[in-house]
Amino acid sequence: MKKVWAIVRRELVERVRTKAFLIGTFLLPVFIVGMMVVPTLLMSGTARTKRIAIVDGTSQRIGAQVQAGLGAQTFSRDGEELPRYDIAVVGAAGRVEAVRDSLVALTGFARDEMPTGLDGVLVLTDATVDAGDATYLGGDAGSLEGVGELRRALSSVLMQTRLSNAGVDPAIVGRALMPADLETRKVTDGRLTGESGGASFALAYAMGILLYFGIFFYGQQTATSVIEEKNSRIMEVLASSLTPFEMLLGKIVGVGLTGLLQLGIWGGVLYLALSRRAELAGLFGADPNAVASLALPSFPPDLLVIFLLYFVLGFLIYGALFAAVGSMVNTVQEMQQFLFPVMMLIIFAFFGMFAVLNDPTAGLGVTFSFIPFFAPIVMPVRWSMASVPIGELALSLTGMVVGVLAVAWFAGRIYRTGILMYGKKPTVREVLRWIKAG
Amino acid sequence: MTAPAVLLEGVTKRFSGHVAVRDLSLEVPVGGIFGLLGPNGAGKSTTIRMIMEIYLADEGRIELFGTPHGARTLSDRLGYLPEERGLYKKMKVVDQLVFLGETKGIAHGEARKRANEWLDRLGLGEWKQKKIEDLSKGMQQKAQFAGTLLHDPDLVILDEPFSGLDPVNSQVMKDVVVELARRGKTVLFSTHIMEQAERMCDRIVIIARGRKIVDGAVGDIKREAGGKHVALTFSHDKDRAARVLADRAIVAKLDDYGASAEVELADGAQAEALLAALVREGVGLTRFEVVEPSLQSIFIAKVGADAATAARSEEVAA
Repeated sequence: MKKVWAIVRRELVERVRTKAFLIGTFLLPVFIVGMMVVPTLLMSGTARTKRIAIVDGTSQRIGAQVQAGLGAQTFSRDGEELPRYDIAVVGAAGRVEAVRDSLVALTGFARDEMPTGLDGVLVLTDATVDAGDATYLGGDAGSLEGVGELRRALSSVLMQTRLSNAGVDPAIVGRALMPADLETRKVTDGRLTGESGGASFALAYAMGILLYFGIFFYGQQTATSVIEEKNSRIMEVLASSLTPFEMLLGKIVGVGLTGLLQLGIWGGVLYLALSRRAELAGLFGADPNAVASLALPSFPPDLLVIFLLYFVLGFLIYGALFAAVGSMVNTVQEMQQFLFPVMMLIIFAFFGMFAVLNDPTAGLGVTFSFIPFFAPIVMPVRWSMASVPIGELALSLTGMVVGVLAVAWFAGRIYRTGILMYGKKPTVREVLRWIKAG
Repeated sequence: MTAPAVLLEGVTKRFSGHVAVRDLSLEVPVGGIFGLLGPNGAGKSTTIRMIMEIYLADEGRIELFGTPHGARTLSDRLGYLPEERGLYKKMKVVDQLVFLGETKGIAHGEARKRANEWLDRLGLGEWKQKKIEDLSKGMQQKAQFAGTLLHDPDLVILDEPFSGLDPVNSQVMKDVVVELARRGKTVLFSTHIMEQAERMCDRIVIIARGRKIVDGAVGDIKREAGGKHVALTFSHDKDRAARVLADRAIVAKLDDYGASAEVELADGAQAEALLAALVREGVGLTRFEVVEPSLQSIFIAKVGADAATAARSEEVAA
């Protein structure tokens, strides 16, 4: 056992010392946070009041209503509510084109070049009221978000106009257009959890992705590490000191611990970042109060235990499979095709996660949570989405333990022969013979 | 009588289609240096791997120190340097040795102390904190050699320990091996370089094509080989010697090295007659010595010219 521990320690220490680990552990979160924060910062920086001229060619003169509708739109910057649009209405019945062209001549210049210039010209005609046809000519016509805002505002004004044209009371129209505001809260075992439905989904989803990539990435590392030992021929020295099974065990535990350590660091950083999010938000110039009130998914301790338990068991199963694959081949290139069946299993498990996200209480997802190859990803997601009877959890865990032992036996037999086989790749029949050999 | 360090009885190993080792029996006594000789493909490495329990013998029995335990159970008493050297490329030299020591059951701190001592002794002191990949091939080999000996094993098994080493490093390794034997340890090493085995080994076994050809103490083997041998070194006009050396009345066997040669005299022929004939032809000689037969010539006599040629070409390659 002391010798196995030497292998575990070597795997862990040498892996943690690599640049790849440092970069992965510390730069990846920075990168992800950057991906989320930077676009927000960029957008909040560019938001400004847009100056728009409405060329009103309608016989009903709906320009003023559109002006009122758009004028009510606001956005916030530095905690201040500012109008989204600064609108001038130009009546142009009968001479729409001339007015339009003269206004277009003032449009699309940089602010500092022409301070009085326009951002865009919105042309309304009778066809706008009848069929919804309107034209927007603007320097920002390529901005999906800007044009989308405008379209939504205009649609709403047009709907009101049409309804009042049809003689509906504007007060009724206003009430009728009020959208549903559905608040969702998650319930577990008859208790409200305080999580919103969306947050619960996000948590389950994030956890599933993390399990998927964790097992996949570190599993692959196990395989490449076996190949490296084969190529450097250190395998032969080790094989004279330890049994193949001890080597296999040490390697999987060592690589798995590295994965847990990395997850732990990420989890710790995330926890700190969230618990100090108000201060952090202040650093980035955002409103601390707005961030503090953000609904966050809670991570209950039972889920943490389930997550770790299934990560460990799942890694033992897949780590053993990956190690067996690594022992069969001589180069990383050769590994790819032997990896295919193992990858299919993980990908099925990943699909199973979507089945659970779709309906955590029945169907394929529930079935998958009992199959050892799929349970490591599916069960934690199911646990986080719905309450799982303790008997079912026990059944799933028992299945996992049996699965781990079976796979370890099977992988150990391949490993035992494979690690000392150089040269050509084995055929499937040869691998079967390795497994059968006493 | 103490049990031999290694005992093989009727060991056979087959690989798909061919027999690598056939009915091999040998006995390595405790203490001293034992040579396992033969050309490549003779089955040396396969034999060593079976002793190390990396391969299982298909037939026969292997015993270590008179116990029924295999090499893995006894691994703390065994040191093994495989033919294909290899260490973790990205690992620091000293960490690598500590790790190897730990896999032999030495505590971390003690392993570190011994690793430092060995690296200093082998002249690698300045390289302790370097990665293995930064070392030259020869230095890597010395580092691995130190790793093999870190746990002070009773039986050291070295597969082609001197191949690829320059004369200086070869000397360093040889001194360590001789010192081990002096301390009562058993060293079993394989080589295809006969001269080296001749100088170092107390006992040897020569195998070819999986079979044992010669077995015994080096002195006995030479005595038994019998015949009168003459070592020649030419200084000039070597081509004039050709006719004399081809004369079957004087020369039974010729082992020609170019600038030198070893000759086995024909029955009844005298060394003086050979010298006289060579002088008559005007051949320049710097050496003319009646010697015991070299292992090389015994090897050729027993194995035949084909295998000998194979061994020679490997020597050039090594």
